[in-house]
Amino acid sequence: MLFNSLSFIVFLVIVLGLYYSKIFNWTSKKTMLLLSSYVFYALWNPPLILLLWVSTLVDWKAGNALYKLTDQRKRKLWLLLSMVVNLGFLAFFKYGGFLLENFTIMMNLAGFNYHPAIPDIILPMGISFYTFQTMSYTIDMYYKRTPPAKSFLDFALFVTFFPQLVAGPIVRSSELIPQFYEPKKATTRKFLWGTFLLTLGLFEKVVMADVVLSSTSDAVFGSEKVLNIIDAWSGTLAFSGQIFFDFAGYSTCAIGIALMLGIKLPDNFRYPYAAIGFTDLWKRWHISLSAWLRDYLYIPLGGNRRGITRTYISLMLTMLLGGLWHGAAWTFVFWGMLHGLYLIVERYLRSHIKIKINAWNGFLLALLTYTFVNISWVFFRAGDFQSAINILSSMFFINPEGEKILSSLDIIKVLIVIGSLFLTHWFMRNTSVKCVARKIPWWLFSIFWAIMLILLVIAQGSSEQFIYFQF
Amino acid sequence: MQLKKTFFTALLLFIAGIVSWEYYCLEQGYIAALNDDLAIWAVQRSKLENMSQQDVVILGSSRAHFDIQLDQWEAKTGIRPVMLACDGSTPTPIFQDIVNNTDFNGTIVIGVTPGLFFSAPVEQVPMWKRPKIRVDHYYERTWAQRINHLISVPLENTFAFLNSSEEEWADDIDLKSMIKRMYNDDRLNESMPPFYNFSYIDIDRNTTMLDKTVNDTAFAATIQKVWMYFGKNAPPPVKEPIINIYKDMLAKYNSRGGNVIFLRLPSSGGFRQGENMGLPRDQFWEQLLAETNTPGYHFEDYKVLNQYDPPEWSHLATPDAKIFTTDLVSILLNDKAIPNLQ
Repeated sequence: MLFNSLSFIVFLVIVLGLYYSKIFNWTSKKTMLLLSSYVFYALWNPPLILLLWVSTLVDWKAGNALYKLTDQRKRKLWLLLSMVVNLGFLAFFKYGGFLLENFTIMMNLAGFNYHPAIPDIILPMGISFYTFQTMSYTIDMYYKRTPPAKSFLDFALFVTFFPQLVAGPIVRSSELIPQFYEPKKATTRKFLWGTFLLTLGLFEKVVMADVVLSSTSDAVFGSEKVLNIIDAWSGTLAFSGQIFFDFAGYSTCAIGIALMLGIKLPDNFRYPYAAIGFTDLWKRWHISLSAWLRDYLYIPLGGNRRGITRTYISLMLTMLLGGLWHGAAWTFVFWGMLHGLYLIVERYLRSHIKIKINAWNGFLLALLTYTFVNISWVFFRAGDFQSAINILSSMFFINPEGEKILSSLDIIKVLIVIGSLFLTHWFMRNTSVKCVARKIPWWLFSIFWAIMLILLVIAQGSSEQFIYFQF
Repeated sequence: MQLKKTFFTALLLFIAGIVSWEYYCLEQGYIAALNDDLAIWAVQRSKLENMSQQDVVILGSSRAHFDIQLDQWEAKTGIRPVMLACDGSTPTPIFQDIVNNTDFNGTIVIGVTPGLFFSAPVEQVPMWKRPKIRVDHYYERTWAQRINHLISVPLENTFAFLNSSEEEWADDIDLKSMIKRMYNDDRLNESMPPFYNFSYIDIDRNTTMLDKTVNDTAFAATIQKVWMYFGKNAPPPVKEPIINIYKDMLAKYNSRGGNVIFLRLPSSGGFRQGENMGLPRDQFWEQLLAETNTPGYHFEDYKVLNQYDPPEWSHLATPDAKIFTTDLVSILLNDKAIPNLQ
């Protein structure tokens, strides 16, 4: 089920009605939330809920065993079981086709005439998100960082909590499970703030991503022609806006919905396009994933404690796998590699050149960072390397006679929206929506809220899927 | 932050804004009607799963969609056909789906609009892509999408401003369409004239032509300009591969007791001239019937069917379509070509 759909509005009203009715005690409310989360998932593809159940059962058993057992060999076996099940699901459902494709290429390069049937595997929605979330639980149990969930219900709800089930934020057990122990009820203020965040998130997704930017980005990245420089840049900038509004919109909705239930989820975005450098970027973009990769991959690989070379290798490996997490294609791996490279270069420069950041050079450095981010987005969005190279060639004057496929309106629209987005991120980089909402007059806030609602309704969105659902 | 006050004021402003917008849309002549989208087509398609040999399915492009009126067909035969015709497309991918993926063995009436029917059997071609997308959606639709459709039906039937269309008409009033119309320039040298909506459908996808298409000749002329544009830019017809597809499919469908009728529906003016020049009757229509050994009814062969002047050259005005359907069904019943429960 999608947040930006009529069925979700009905679903949410029913869930909130049951949640705040007096007929249930806290355990019954949690059971209702769990069942609702399964319905939320099953309305997309019912059989694939089995994967969620298997993942939940295995990690519950493994987590408990890991916490209680002292025999190190047995503990390692339980951890291995959890990893094999979770990564096995990912490997089969997400990377099965990709692995087979590459294996086929290698076999043919080696001289074998090997052409297997291409499997038709459905990618379960949000599989990368919930497997990472459950894996973090078992790894935390292994290191005894947090205590296990007190009940299976609390754990199952942690895995399946519908606001963040399919596209995050990827929550740690210590952030969410303790919130399930005591009855939760949003205060009127929290409930209304949650409603505002839901409106804001839907506005970002439906109006900004789907209505304003998606057609420009789709036209450019779907074109097989060699494009004009303006068209190539407009499409790339449009995608940078589209993916931000799409994903940050989802996260904002998730945080808002959870808040309406009295549950707090962590921030996932902090004005990433105002980042000064790539270390800053990854503290602002998809924060829950970058923190996961840092804690469960980069630090175990050695982090920055084993010398400069090892740090660079760890950074690169982390970003390569981060790229692969997004999708089963070499273009995603290359996107990860670019970010690994950006981080390495930045680290090198920081250790050799000291710059005191002020508003002016900070703005220019943020703009430079954003430009490099856009270059990496080309590989993220393009269907293959050839398309990516074509677009980059056009962006950097190599195709002066490229074709025009966008109207002037498209180009003006992208310039205005992306310019405003960048400036908004810049001016908001050290504050938050809540702080701004506190400062402006209430009536202005009302008008802003009403305009978002009106545009949402007039947009008549056709329930476009969130981009990150495919990851 | 005074959130309660803020929220209720925002809510009031929102309601006032939407009511004003709805009033404005009604003033502009928009009406509350259903969108002819993937979801409503899929609901009709799902009916095939439980239909018998007595049932009738209508395939084709917009001519079949406009010209065959379901109430009139039902009144004459006691059978309400299922309308699966898709505007601006060839019926072939849908016919292939019915033959290959269902057990249906009733009557299929296939409207033949030559320029669309004899289009290249390639998925990238728009007239193939459209019906293929609908067929795929039928198999891939989620339960959430089905519920979305159920909820959207009463809303679309209530509010005129809910009129976005997959056709992306030049007068759609969803936000994306309105932004698109904000500024026109010649950067792309696009020459396609604006294409305005000229019909609406009901829950069974029965089509009614908007009155302004009949009463406003200037409006009808805008649609004629679009037909001329399509005519000038039409790809060359593809005959033999299409006829071969039908030969194979018809052999399969007839072997399980199915009945197929081809139907050539009226056109006039510049459209008819273009069809006569580019896809002459003897070389396309007659050859299709002969090679597939399938019965066909051409409007030119029946005086009662050849008495209409479509307002925009290609589709009958709804009052005419009702009489046309009654006459057509009488002819088909007289030939015992279709089932009759009365």
